[in-house]
Amino acid sequence: MAAPGIAPQRTDQPDADQWTERDRPWSVIVWNDPVTLMSYVVFVLRKLFGHDEQTATRLMLRVHHEGKAVVAQGPREKAEMDVFRLHAHGLQATMAQD
Amino acid sequence: MGRLHGVRRLEDGRIRVRLSTREQDALRMLPGQILPILLGDHELGAPGSPIRERLFPSAYANDPLADMEFREMVGDGIVNTRADAFRTFARTLDQGAARRFVWTIDLTPEEASAWLSAVNDARLTLAMIVGIKSEDDWERGPDPRDPRRVMLYYLGWLEDEFVTALMGGLKEPL
Repeated sequence: MAAPGIAPQRTDQPDADQWTERDRPWSVIVWNDPVTLMSYVVFVLRKLFGHDEQTATRLMLRVHHEGKAVVAQGPREKAEMDVFRLHAHGLQATMAQD
Repeated sequence: MGRLHGVRRLEDGRIRVRLSTREQDALRMLPGQILPILLGDHELGAPGSPIRERLFPSAYANDPLADMEFREMVGDGIVNTRADAFRTFARTLDQGAARRFVWTIDLTPEEASAWLSAVNDARLTLAMIVGIKSEDDWERGPDPRDPRRVMLYYLGWLEDEFVTALMGGLKEPL
C-alpha cells in the first residue's frame, strides 16, 4: 500500500497542464474529544492559524457539535506541519486528501 | 478578591500565578506522576497504550504506512518538547514567593506556555486514567475520595485561567 500522492505512476510524468492527484488539497481535521476545554481549542486555533476570536470560536463549535471540523487546507507538506503543531498542543488532528 | 487568586496577565506581558500553598504542593506531585507516562517509561504510557495514542495521535486515520512515515518525520521532538514543558512547570513551582499560605510567581510568556502544555497533558492523562469517555462523564463531578478526580477538575479550572490570561496576549488579525 502506498500513501496517496506518492504512488510512482502519479509522479513519473508531472504535467503542468494536467490536473494530478498530487494537486488535490489536503484537509486538516480537528476531532472532538470529551476532555479538551472549549476555551483551549479556541486559543490553539487562534495561536496557530491567526484566526480572530469569532472565527476560532465558530470552528471550535463545529468540532464540538459535529464531532469534527476542517481547520485548514493546503498542500500535503503544509497539512503535515499543521497536524504536527496541533498534536504538539494536544489536539486530536488528522489529515485527508479531498 | 476573585482576581487575586488565579492567573492573570501583567502589563509587561508576564503571567502572574497566585495560588494557595496547598495548591502549589498538590501541583508539585504532577511531574512525578505524569512525566514517566509521557516519556513512555511507565506502562500506562507504553507504545500502543490508549494514553499514548491519545497524547500522540495518528495523523492519517486510515493509512498506517503514511502514519508511520509521519511519526518517523516527527521523531522524538514532540515528546521531548512536552517533557521539557513539564520540567519548566516543576522548576517554576519551586520558585516565586510564599507568604501567609499564598504563593505567587510571575512567569515569562514561555514559562506560562509550558504550564499550559503541562496542565493540558496532565488533564488528558488523568481523564484517561479515571475513565472519562464522554462529555456526560463529567456530570459525576469530583469524587472527594479519589484525589485524581479532584485534581482533574481542579486542573480544568487552572487551565481555563491560563487560557484566558494567554488569550489576552494574542493579537487580533488586521
